[in-house]
Amino acid sequence: MRQVIKGNHAVSHGVRLSRVKVISAYPITPQTTIVEQLSEMCASGELEAKFIKVESEHSAMAAVVGSASAGVRSFTATSSHGLLLMHEVLHWTAGARLPIVLANVNRAVGPGWNIWADQTDSLSQRDTGWIQFYCESNQEVLDSVIMGYRLAEKVMLPVMLSYDAFFLSHTSEIVDVPDIEQVDEFLPPYEPEFRLDVNKPRMFGGMVGPDCYYEERYVMFRDALKVLDIYPQVCEQFHAVFGREYDVVEEYRTEEAEIILVTAGTITSVSRIAVDRARGEGKKVGLMKLRLFRPLPIERWQKVLGNAAKVVVIDRDLCAGLGGVFASEIRSALYPLTNRPVLFSFIAGLGGRDVTPEDVEGMINYAAANEEPETMPLFWGLKGDQGGNHAETL
Amino acid sequence: MQKLFDIPRDLMTEEELMQPGGLSCQGCGATLAMKLALKGLGERTVVVIPACCWTIIIGTYPHCTLQVPVIHVPFETAAVAASGIRAAFDVRGEKDVVVMAWAGDGGTFDIGLQALSGAAERNEDILYVCYDNEAYMNTGIQRSSATPPGAWTTTTPPGAIKEEPKKDIVKIMLAHGTPYVATASVAYPDDLVAKFRNVRRIKGTKFIHLLSPCPPGWRIDSSQSVKVARMATQANVFPIYEIENGGYTVNVVPEKKLPVKDYMEAQGRFRMISKEMLNAVQDRVDRRWEQLLENSAAP
Amino acid sequence: MNSKRRSEPAQKHELRSWYDYPPMNVSLGNMLHNKTGAWRFIKPIYEDKVPACQNACPAGNDIEGWIKLLQKGEYEEAYWHLKREQPFPSILGRVCFSFCQTACNRSPLDECVGIRELERFIGDQVAPSLAHPNLPGYHGKSLAVVGSGPAGMSAAYYARLLGFHVTIFEALPVMGGILRVGIPGYRLPREIVETEFHRLKNMGIELRPNTGVGASVTIDEIRNTYDYLFLATGVHASRRLGLEGKDESHRVMSGLAMLKKVALGEKVDLGQKIAVIGGGNTAIDAARTAFRLGCRVTIIYRRSENEMPAHPEEVREALEEGVQLRTLAAPARIELDDDGTIRRLVCCEMELGPPDESGRRRPIKKEGALFDVEADCILTGIGEIPILHYLNNMATIENGVIPVDEGLKVYTKGSGKARIFAGGDIIPIPHTVVHAVASGKKAAIAMDCDRKGTDYSDVLEEIALGDGTAISFSLYMGWDPVNPVTQNNRIVVDSEKIVYDYFGKEPRVRQEIQEANIRKRSFESHTRTFTADEAQQEAGRCMHCGRCIECDNCLIFCPDMSVQVKGEEQFGYAFDYDYCKGCGICFTECPRYAITMVDEETSVEGDNFQLSTE
Repeated sequence: MRQVIKGNHAVSHGVRLSRVKVISAYPITPQTTIVEQLSEMCASGELEAKFIKVESEHSAMAAVVGSASAGVRSFTATSSHGLLLMHEVLHWTAGARLPIVLANVNRAVGPGWNIWADQTDSLSQRDTGWIQFYCESNQEVLDSVIMGYRLAEKVMLPVMLSYDAFFLSHTSEIVDVPDIEQVDEFLPPYEPEFRLDVNKPRMFGGMVGPDCYYEERYVMFRDALKVLDIYPQVCEQFHAVFGREYDVVEEYRTEEAEIILVTAGTITSVSRIAVDRARGEGKKVGLMKLRLFRPLPIERWQKVLGNAAKVVVIDRDLCAGLGGVFASEIRSALYPLTNRPVLFSFIAGLGGRDVTPEDVEGMINYAAANEEPETMPLFWGLKGDQGGNHAETL
Repeated sequence: MQKLFDIPRDLMTEEELMQPGGLSCQGCGATLAMKLALKGLGERTVVVIPACCWTIIIGTYPHCTLQVPVIHVPFETAAVAASGIRAAFDVRGEKDVVVMAWAGDGGTFDIGLQALSGAAERNEDILYVCYDNEAYMNTGIQRSSATPPGAWTTTTPPGAIKEEPKKDIVKIMLAHGTPYVATASVAYPDDLVAKFRNVRRIKGTKFIHLLSPCPPGWRIDSSQSVKVARMATQANVFPIYEIENGGYTVNVVPEKKLPVKDYMEAQGRFRMISKEMLNAVQDRVDRRWEQLLENSAAP
Repeated sequence: MNSKRRSEPAQKHELRSWYDYPPMNVSLGNMLHNKTGAWRFIKPIYEDKVPACQNACPAGNDIEGWIKLLQKGEYEEAYWHLKREQPFPSILGRVCFSFCQTACNRSPLDECVGIRELERFIGDQVAPSLAHPNLPGYHGKSLAVVGSGPAGMSAAYYARLLGFHVTIFEALPVMGGILRVGIPGYRLPREIVETEFHRLKNMGIELRPNTGVGASVTIDEIRNTYDYLFLATGVHASRRLGLEGKDESHRVMSGLAMLKKVALGEKVDLGQKIAVIGGGNTAIDAARTAFRLGCRVTIIYRRSENEMPAHPEEVREALEEGVQLRTLAAPARIELDDDGTIRRLVCCEMELGPPDESGRRRPIKKEGALFDVEADCILTGIGEIPILHYLNNMATIENGVIPVDEGLKVYTKGSGKARIFAGGDIIPIPHTVVHAVASGKKAAIAMDCDRKGTDYSDVLEEIALGDGTAISFSLYMGWDPVNPVTQNNRIVVDSEKIVYDYFGKEPRVRQEIQEANIRKRSFESHTRTFTADEAQQEAGRCMHCGRCIECDNCLIFCPDMSVQVKGEEQFGYAFDYDYCKGCGICFTECPRYAITMVDEETSVEGDNFQLSTE
């Protein structure tokens, strides 16, 4: 049923529809309304789940490690510092092969305290072994929760879905909220092969020596790669039930594009407008929306971006000493190609600063006007000597 | 006749939930503690183990000495992982399964205290056991806030012997309103087994502080573990008592009162303790024992 | 083994390739393949040892063994077990010095176990007519026992069990030696002694009272008639007072002589007031006997009361009954009339000087401190000496006693068929009944070795008990101990080895004793035997030092699950050496030192009774 709901509420619906049984959460802006809505749902009985009101995010993740190990579908949500605090346990969850879904509201990292949209938080967790999705709309957020469980429970790896603070979390959009019976068709109950069971006692997470650890990690690596095969199947099934499609990337007007934009999150919506305008002006510009980030869909990216002359990556994140994370990953994905496009890495929108279609147009024009590849990122809209619409170079 | 322990022979010889072949040091108090605890708990138990000696004792992948389900969890998280497991077992309708967090003193008094406090405040229906060998033994004998004053550890070497008193974990738990808080010791095995058997009937958070001597860390011969634990109780350094909903019961009243000095002289780790500190400890121990007797006498 | 282990047997899961790995870190099996026994450098073994009581007993009485049987209610089995090392429980249960009780490890806790009373109970339980089980036949060698006191009785008993034809010669008309004519009836009723001889006779031992060697028959005769001789004629003469002038008359007699007369039913003429000289058991016995005959009695002893060699209980009971005691006094002079009656007994006060060779302080006469004691009769109890003239120079005599080798063999002179051994008070051993009994046992074994041609010294190595002189007849015969557990017969379990934390105080069951007023005129036994309830209660105080009682401490405290209960019908436990790490907790927490830590290289067999390397 179509409703006008905020992104956080979309998450709550997704959790309810997925018949999650154990939730743990610790409040942090701008995730709080997820937690509040889930509390109400549990209290009213709309959602039959245990809600553990933990005393920190580290504990929030540890609690669901416990419940998932006991074979029960589990969920938590956080943002920014909460995610960072969970870091140790994020590694643990993935290493323990637990199919937990975590909703992360992309928020900037302090100091200074900043509660607005920024993707540094989830990107800094890219080594933890979690499957990572970036969502562009509230519909996508809701659907990603449900798809997330299906995928996670098939490959036994946790799924982190990220979406922008306030732009999605607190912004209302039209969302088709499915019926729970429909979801039941798509998402069967969670019955893992191995779980804590007094009838079949086993030990989970035991100490591993140098003679065994390597292979354990290798198996995990192989299983992570399986996502690239399994996810398309999940998508097909999802499409069959709900009629919506979510590929690992979405190509927008990339036919014969000379310049392809790469974006993740709400910047994608803004960039579509810029692409349309550019095409209107006869420029061969396209857009690759980046949805699946881990595991790295290298072949797909190579296929989509390989034939373009120029690639413009917009990073709403910054890694000191490296630059934009998306850009860096795309560079390494394209490295094996004999003919590589020129890559322009733009930093924009940090800490919730607005990125407008004009900004994106400016970036497209910059790329169009320059041939030499830049090694350093281009800081779009930085307050400096020149005003506004420009790229600050180092 | 000898004061025999009130543990039926059948219980000791029935199918073992803890098997040999584990990696503990000779004379490990924590190993003996787990053996006895499982005798009281039975097979419908899940054990949650954070980083501690038992991470190693239990065996290397893919083998395990326990015949109950076990999960290893990160260091700080024993109490909250147990909370999650409790929620899951309740969801599955297995409310009789005891979820036991089995943590060392480091993982309880220090790094695990936050999660423990959270779980206790929520009155989670879990059993939290702190097997206390009074230092970070697994990492090579470093001091924790459970290390008693006067004790040598690698981070309280001669010249910097620990001065701070041992954190009173029982009082901390009582401050949370925890319905059942108890101490136990490997030297009093029937009391220990009975306490673990008893937890099933109590809803809410149960906390057991269990003294587990460590031969390498306490500088005692491996054969002395049980004896030194007994001396700790005889000296009133580690009294055995339980508090259920605020009502105190002292379970062991030593027949003879051992001077704290004798208890300390039996262990190499106290060799550096000064006379002043020893007297201060004896004082504190005496006052606490008197208070305990008073509390247990109150209606 | 009946301790069960759940799940699969030991199996190491090898993960040879990445595709062997389970999809997540989850265990596949147990750790039983990890045989932690390889870590050991010392290991525990179950090994019963010698309790302090048995070690202190000159006869090596296996007290713990028969107490265990008593506790099970197996009184007859307890009786026969006791008899293995000490054949006369009803006697020793009344008169023994009870070295066992002095050494009992229970004393530091509360009070020693009343072992003597328990022995009396066991002895009294069994009907006199009960036949001795498993009596062997005869191998043809004969033994003449000269003297029917405790040493002779004991030698006769054990020699019979070793297949000898035994004859006991006794000069007096009644059998029993000092037991019958030295110890008064209120301490040892004559029926008890007679019953023992009844038993000996039923075993096929020939009794010949009224047949004194050196009187009815000569030593040379029996020396040539029998294959073996055991001399056990005891000490029936008394030391003289040795005072100036005449100190002998019918009114100055040895206490022993008086006791003998009373025991044989003869009349004694003692007068009214008696002075008894001496502080040993003979003096006390004489004093209390005289008192019961109606006399007023004063004991005169030259040292202080604390130093009296008699049993403190005896002294106390005598004083309760009304016997007077004058310490630090000694007779100086006796003035006799011509007809032998005593005109005056002059005594001197004594004081204690420096210690003499016995370690006790020497009494020294105080100058000018003389005083009179009224006495119609003087009984001496200042020491007993053997009468050995019957030997007719057949044996060496030194200091009035017969020296013997370690096998109690006499250094004989002259020739004759018999091998000659001696025991009891005529050889240089302490003068107690139990020492005499022990010597008889030892001699019987030595004679048997001689008969078989084996070296007694070698045998002694194998049958010695503890760190004293006691030997074990059970070991000589290869009989099983009560516990089917490896035995170490040399290590003694003293109080340092007991873990007192495991024992609570329990009051000793007091043996009832008649009130002084009632008993002081009676020759009846004034103590009664324990009831079965009292015996069980007192036996319950035994800590079973050095002997496993299956208390389960080791089973409870082993951190490595390496103590296994043997099973339904079998006794005790076995160590699982595959996993035992040798930590030693079982050893420390065994309340009674029934586990030994031995070097890892020591070979250990299951149920064989072999000595460990000590």
